Amino acid sequence: MLTLMAAADTQGGFAIFLQQIINGITTGSLFALIAVGYTMVYGIIELINFAHGDLFMLGSFLALTLVGWLGLAVAPVFGLAAGLVLVLVLSMTFCAALNVAVDRLVYRPLRSAPKLTPLVSAIGVSFVFMGIGQLWKGVADINFPDLLPNRNLLGSEALRFTFKDLMVCLVTVPLMAGLTVFVKFTRTGKAMRATAQNPTAARLMGIDVDRVIGVTFAIGGSLAGAAAVVYGLHINTVSFQMGYQNGLYAFTAAVLGGIGNLPGAVLGGIVIGLIRSLGSQYVGEKWTSALVFAILIILLVFRPSGLLGARTREKV
Amino acid sequence: MKRVRWEYLVLGVLLLYPLLPWEWAALLGSDLRTIFIFGILALGLNVVVGYSGLLQLGIAAFFGIGAYATGILTVPQFPFQIGFWPAVIAATLIAGVAGVVLAAPTLRLRGDYLAIVTLGFGEVVKFAIKNLESITAGTKSLNPVPPPGLLGLPVNWENYRAFYYLALGFLVLVAVLLRNLENSRLGRAWMAIREDELAATCMGTNAAKVKLSAFALGAALAGLAGSLYATALGNTGGPDSYTFNRSITVLCFLIIGGMGSINGALLGTFVLMGYDNILTPRLDKWVQDAGSQFRFTDVKLVVFGLALILMMRFRPEGILPSRRIAMELHEEKP
Amino acid sequence: MKALVFGMLSAALGLLPGAAGAVAPPPQEGGTIKVVSSLPRTGSAKAQTDTIVNGIVMALDEAGRKVGNFKIEYEDLDDATATAGQWTQEKEAANADQAIKDADVMVYIGTYNSGAAKISIPKLNRANLLMISPANTWPGLTKPGKGDPGEPDIYRPTGKINYTRVVPADDIQGPLGAEWAKKMGVKRVFILDDREVYGKGIADLFRARAEEIDLKVLGQEGIDAQAQEFKPLMTKIKALEPDLIYFGGTTQTKAGQVAKDMIAVGLKAKIMVPDGCFEDAFITSAGAENLNGRAFITFGGLPPEKLKGKGAAFVAAYIAKYGKKPEAYAAYGYEAGNVALEAIRRAGKKDRDAIRTAALGIRNFEGALGKWSFDKNGDTTLRTMSGNTVKDGKFEFVEVLGED
Repeated sequence: MLTLMAAADTQGGFAIFLQQIINGITTGSLFALIAVGYTMVYGIIELINFAHGDLFMLGSFLALTLVGWLGLAVAPVFGLAAGLVLVLVLSMTFCAALNVAVDRLVYRPLRSAPKLTPLVSAIGVSFVFMGIGQLWKGVADINFPDLLPNRNLLGSEALRFTFKDLMVCLVTVPLMAGLTVFVKFTRTGKAMRATAQNPTAARLMGIDVDRVIGVTFAIGGSLAGAAAVVYGLHINTVSFQMGYQNGLYAFTAAVLGGIGNLPGAVLGGIVIGLIRSLGSQYVGEKWTSALVFAILIILLVFRPSGLLGARTREKV
Repeated sequence: MKRVRWEYLVLGVLLLYPLLPWEWAALLGSDLRTIFIFGILALGLNVVVGYSGLLQLGIAAFFGIGAYATGILTVPQFPFQIGFWPAVIAATLIAGVAGVVLAAPTLRLRGDYLAIVTLGFGEVVKFAIKNLESITAGTKSLNPVPPPGLLGLPVNWENYRAFYYLALGFLVLVAVLLRNLENSRLGRAWMAIREDELAATCMGTNAAKVKLSAFALGAALAGLAGSLYATALGNTGGPDSYTFNRSITVLCFLIIGGMGSINGALLGTFVLMGYDNILTPRLDKWVQDAGSQFRFTDVKLVVFGLALILMMRFRPEGILPSRRIAMELHEEKP
Repeated sequence: MKALVFGMLSAALGLLPGAAGAVAPPPQEGGTIKVVSSLPRTGSAKAQTDTIVNGIVMALDEAGRKVGNFKIEYEDLDDATATAGQWTQEKEAANADQAIKDADVMVYIGTYNSGAAKISIPKLNRANLLMISPANTWPGLTKPGKGDPGEPDIYRPTGKINYTRVVPADDIQGPLGAEWAKKMGVKRVFILDDREVYGKGIADLFRARAEEIDLKVLGQEGIDAQAQEFKPLMTKIKALEPDLIYFGGTTQTKAGQVAKDMIAVGLKAKIMVPDGCFEDAFITSAGAENLNGRAFITFGGLPPEKLKGKGAAFVAAYIAKYGKKPEAYAAYGYEAGNVALEAIRRAGKKDRDAIRTAALGIRNFEGALGKWSFDKNGDTTLRTMSGNTVKDGKFEFVEVLGED
């Protein structure tokens, strides 16, 4: 940290360093929202859900369509706020429902199969989602209307924290807090943790494992749906490929934090956001992605369970 | 003799195919040539995933390393220009060594973690190809990779047939090599650690060594395929030819065809690449000539995805599975 | 008998060059001649290439799809894939191979991207097949000493020239962009590129001229065209306080996102982009409000509405036929189509080498772009450039750049 700060001083001052931290945390929280979906599903059924990023993509396409239908680009402030909340809710519902449906139709019949079988099905679902996205909106980048003011909320011009950045926090923080409370304190949350630890024992204890898995997919999907709307409003571009790119980062975030570990996914997301922004400032734009994956490899070699994961042996 | 050896029949047909004089046969022939090259790549991945059960999600990286090694050793921009034959051997070895370098520190990782490391490695290689512009020419690809020489014979490489036989020859060579390996001590050790690593270790198998050899051989075969690919293409194809997408596609070849089986891997390659490279463009042209705007290319992803899902649901062992894997998949239903 | 069988085999296999040569049909009067084009038909360049294809089709239709006794056929090949969103080396190589193998193909119109041309020129060169590009602008494809070392000879394994283009190259466009920036009062400029042949090439040419005329170049950086956003990069650039950002790249390599993220980090500089972004897709992907009054686009010719004579007639006919205004490169597609016809007419026979030679001999051609000739490298003698801006979500012509 100290060396980074020293580097910051030589290359354009502390303000830029702070600015890049803000940039990193905002995009990082987007990755975190998606990462939660990967990590929860993995925690429970040990499936790398390759289709999750593409689910996120379909969510953003739905949001884009809804924004058009509701005419939000020209709506007055109050209408805009109400409209966006509606878009957020619908997108979350849509992604949750889609994720649960895929689990019921595709993954559930394969529960007892070897691990590679559902993994390949997930790849298949990912292709189907991408294909649907491509048919729905074409293959070009699409502009997501710039609905939120880009006004700086901080006094000085040297440092920017805009309304858009605030919006990311306003969506992400409550969702994460709510999720933590849910998993820690509710009955279903407890059932989820029990199932993650040992599905057979959980079933013997009278837990409806299939329902628990369904709830997990619903939560993961709804967070992806939320991330989709926030992404559209913040980045302002959507395309049928965005699921693949962001999914890869989010997945990396989940692994970085310790797959199966909720706070780990959030931490991992933010770390990746920071690697990207600080890497762009101090290493060079073109190396940022390579840096993310290089750090992932090094971390896994030396600490295979991730930043926050407990050291456990894989179940044999 | 009860069982017909289909593979010999197919091989015979493929050997005679270039005798067809028509123009459409030539076009189809160069597609087949590409399929042979990808067949080698699929066989390489089959060693790692199929035989040894190590989920490798970055095979494209080694494919790319092979292609770029060939490019660097042969293009006129660099002083080496050692020509195709030394380059193809060097590319195979270099990719194999890269496989060892990746695998050695990561082999103690198990299952999905190993998969993730290979995925990350694939991405790092792609970005390295893209960013090391002074060596790889960045996105521009190394160009032109010269065609092979053949004992000084004036072979006409513009005609697809020469390369067709070259690729087919390498494919047969690799298939024979692997068939012998399957029944060797090493091959049985691969399958033993796939079935039960703990038990295999207890029986005295050195798991680390066995896994390392699988990884290295898989990477080397991928490098060989990459070398042929670059030579057939006449350039190194650019960094975006070696993405995660390609790794996944090759994995799908194995899964559709039949994991752990040579015939299965090749059949999967033929079916999926045939659909992708041969069938859809021809269907597209056909409906376009009929005046329709519809393009099969646009629904390719959906068809591909559905095929994978249905396959996993109803025949997870693939079309032509290895006997042992099929048994395992239909063992017991709890 | 043995010798006969061997002869038949080797003839059928075509393994030996003599045998392959015998496959080509003898030149004859009449028959079918095929013109193919290889352009990115999938992805955001599609709107642009649609109009290029329309231009080619109009040129062929006006001639009644006939030259002398030859029936002219046209096939539209795609060098892009959906997964890449733009052209790929594999598709371009496959298109070139397909054209070479089809004995009826006499002219190859393409490519759109200079990087793609690098793949197909040497392949087509060995087959003596004429190539006419409506849109490639990397100088190295034709001009010795203006591109990378070894260019353009490495594309000409036979030593003959088979590649021509109807659009002026970037050794004119890049520097004129820098001069235009200076004229606008720009003092400090940051340069970005997409690291592709065309984008990096023109960015370097812009930079060289900018340094000569004392614009302060604050830095140059390559972006990853697959990245989703560039806010960290823009934050870094913002601290350097540029008046202008020059992006060497195309709509397909994220020009829109670059423009968008400049605004997002509060960077008030102008943005200048080359002709690869001179298509409506650029405005759509960036969002019109992000470009109005602050985006400047250089183009190696005049925009459709400024064309005169045959060009104006083409634009009018285009609007009448397709019901909308053509994109900037439509006239170049039309011109390429007409050059193809002219070359076939001059050669008068179905022979790749004759048609290639005939095309290179074209002088004082009266086309939609004006009166021009091919020079000894296969380049057009036209040098007219235009500077354009975006106003109310539409491209607007500002001025002619450079003399002539």
